[in-house]
Amino acid sequence: MNVQVLFFGATADETGEREIEFSFDENISAERAFAEIVEKYPRLKAHKLLFAVNQEYADGGEIIKNGDELAIFTAVSGG
Amino acid sequence: MDFYEITNEPLNVGEIARRVVPVECGAIVTLDGFVRKFTKGRETQYLVYEGYEPMALKEMEKLGERAKQLFEIANVGIVHRLGRLEIGETSVVISVASPHRRAAFEACEWLIKELKKTVPIWKKEVYADGEIWVTGNG
Repeated sequence: MNVQVLFFGATADETGEREIEFSFDENISAERAFAEIVEKYPRLKAHKLLFAVNQEYADGGEIIKNGDELAIFTAVSGG
Repeated sequence: MDFYEITNEPLNVGEIARRVVPVECGAIVTLDGFVRKFTKGRETQYLVYEGYEPMALKEMEKLGERAKQLFEIANVGIVHRLGRLEIGETSVVISVASPHRRAAFEACEWLIKELKKTVPIWKKEVYADGEIWVTGNG
């Protein structure tokens, strides 16, 4: 199954990507899915990362489904 | 009416503040957050803000709803600008209307503190000799 993965700010700079497609096995947890993505872009490991699934902060226990929108970013700094 | 918006256009603080004026209210407290020239002694040339827009709007709305549970306030408006901002330009406006001023002051302070922790927007500080994506404190 395929998902969309979004990067912003520092994570977009580190990966050189803003949006990619990623394939996973069925019924993968968010924790494992994000670990696989970080393995593909090891420069992300230099940062403390936050994760979102379908525009909500993820705690890792979510089950990823085909077509989901994942995002990886650093601690926010708006305001 | 509550409102939560993200824009690339300059913000008109007075116009945004006066959009929340229910008749039972007697005060509006508005935060005008703007680009600071010096941070810890280092001179900023300009800022670039980037956001995960649909999620940022959802998180802003959650904060507004939570603030209305926590404080005796009537309405909340939050508008954040993205893109390149020069020194002194407004990056965020938070406006809170309440029957009495104290709750609006407290809610406005609570909202900006929470926004800086949870709303997915990032700023890049650009200096004469480099640039850095600012990382929040979580």
